[in-house]
Amino acid sequence: MKKCKLLILASLFGSAFLSAQNKQLLYDFYEIPQSLMLNPGVKTPYKWHAGIPVLSGIGFQAGTSGITVNDLFANDGIDFTTKVRDRALYSMSPRDEFSGSGQIEVFYGGFRSANRPEDYYSFGMYGEGFTSVFWPKDLAILAFEGNANNLNRRFDLGHLTLQGEAVNVFHFGVNRKMSDKLNLGVRAKIYSSVFEFKSKRNSGYFVTTPGDDNILENTLVAELELQTSGFKELIDILDEDNNTTQKDLQKWLLGRSFFGGNLGLGADFGFTYQLNENTFLTGSILDVGFIYHSNGLENYTLNGAATNEGIEIILPEDLFQGNNDLWQELVDDLERLVPFGTDQNSFVSLRPIKLNASIRYNFGEGNSGGAPCYCGYDAVNARDFFDYVNGVGGHLFVINRPKGPQAALTAFYQRRLGNVLALKTTYTVDKYSFSNIGLGLNLQAGPVNFYILADNLLGYRNVADSHYASFQFGFNIISWNDN
Amino acid sequence: MKKCVFGLGIAISALVFVVGCSEEQNFDQFDDLSVTPTLATSIFYLESDESTINLASSGSFYSEVFTFEAFNEEFVAERVLEGVITYQVENTTSKEIDITVEFLDEGGNVLDTEAFTIEADPAPLLERQIAYGNGGRSLDILRNTTNIRVGAINQSDNSSTSSQPDPKIILRSSAEFRFRLK
Repeated sequence: MKKCKLLILASLFGSAFLSAQNKQLLYDFYEIPQSLMLNPGVKTPYKWHAGIPVLSGIGFQAGTSGITVNDLFANDGIDFTTKVRDRALYSMSPRDEFSGSGQIEVFYGGFRSANRPEDYYSFGMYGEGFTSVFWPKDLAILAFEGNANNLNRRFDLGHLTLQGEAVNVFHFGVNRKMSDKLNLGVRAKIYSSVFEFKSKRNSGYFVTTPGDDNILENTLVAELELQTSGFKELIDILDEDNNTTQKDLQKWLLGRSFFGGNLGLGADFGFTYQLNENTFLTGSILDVGFIYHSNGLENYTLNGAATNEGIEIILPEDLFQGNNDLWQELVDDLERLVPFGTDQNSFVSLRPIKLNASIRYNFGEGNSGGAPCYCGYDAVNARDFFDYVNGVGGHLFVINRPKGPQAALTAFYQRRLGNVLALKTTYTVDKYSFSNIGLGLNLQAGPVNFYILADNLLGYRNVADSHYASFQFGFNIISWNDN
Repeated sequence: MKKCVFGLGIAISALVFVVGCSEEQNFDQFDDLSVTPTLATSIFYLESDESTINLASSGSFYSEVFTFEAFNEEFVAERVLEGVITYQVENTTSKEIDITVEFLDEGGNVLDTEAFTIEADPAPLLERQIAYGNGGRSLDILRNTTNIRVGAINQSDNSSTSSQPDPKIILRSSAEFRFRLK
């Protein structure tokens, strides 16, 4: 039980490090310094900023595209097995996904260069992680029903797709105002992988057909692989039979988080371009990089093909063979034809690249009006720096996932209320939901900044029945640009 | 002022969680999940041509004990709920043939026997289904089976030949078992 709890805690720790998924509320909400993490080329109205350590950016996301907790666990008196059969087994598709992600900033800061005021530097460290499991439909049906009543049905082993990781990221970025209309940004990242597992691009099938000789013939064609790094060490720690498990676990987590695990490199790129006085175009591509896994590895494979019709005795060939260990012979044959292998081969895992693009149109009284809203940093009052009172626009997010790119499209409206409050509301369509309405709030009190962003608010009416939920908040200290 | 912002932040965070509602959930339902797939596979296949039968000096032309530990594998033995073994005997030889299938335990004791007599060609396909568990024979027979003895006896002469192009005696068998996975 203790090990189980530790495993759950470790998973949560991993999940708490979740990879930024779609953060449409935060994107281009540039009053919040964390928007720099989504677009290194966003506008930076700050002289410097410092996140409150550990509290500057905390976020999580969870999504299920085919079923909700409520579908299965509502206290509705319906037989649970029936619910699983009707609502999961036969209703979900192999493209349906259970995913969770999270992120926590350990520290984060930034400052404007004294010598080159058009440059804004940012740096920090955050942990992130995610897990994603696609519904293995055919494998679930095989487990639920068996093959006896599914003759000639090919159970697709390619439905097995899962991935997860926890990684610590160290980053340093430069944001430069290239002209009155253009801002560019780039960020370098070093990844320190805590653990990772992935099983994707699997293929193969299992099928039972009428046999050529015997009554039935079972055929297995498999090309399956599970790559892991860091997991074996974690399991070994949890399995150890002494009282130092917790201490060892902490030591392991810290060690692998700070360059003791597998390392990688990556970069983010972004821009903001002012199309005309009131229209802004932005874009970013994040996590263009890789992690090279070379330690703590344990990979598992099942590759081969075999057809079996049971033990065969054919006379006269098998007369006087003197071998009565036909069962073991059969098992050995199957293991030879479809060997289950383990290895410690190094592997490279590409980061899940994310793409953001948005267009924003500003309107309403209070806009910078005649004065160019995006002029020199030292030329405007900090409070006037913000280029909008009302902003409306669209945002596209694409992330590369194990079964191909996933996209989300967002329409947003944002509004500044004086110098203290800014609000942003979004409507997002993606694979999880067609009714995702989000709300973000940014509060500024002197140098103290607080933001809170919550997604899929309609889902909060019945959280258990929601396909998607995400939540982010944080505290920063900000010094705005001088007058 | 800073305190106000922190306070407001905490209050809003709390509010989001508080206003979040949820229908009553009962996670104990998972204990009621019943997963009982039915798996099917062939067991063994015996085939003999007519000339082999004729060559045997006595009536018995085949008798062999071979290991068969599929049934007493831990997974099967612990989780099997019920099952059916299907036999098919097909005879296109000119002989009447007896086939006996015996399930043996580790000590060589006979746990179960199935005997077939099939007439000489033209004989219809003989099919028999034996149920185990749930009103059928005891599942312990299967759980304790480690060997199978198969014997075949020619009840006719050893000189006649069938007019069929490739006369054979064939014994086919398959098993269909229901297991409790959860």
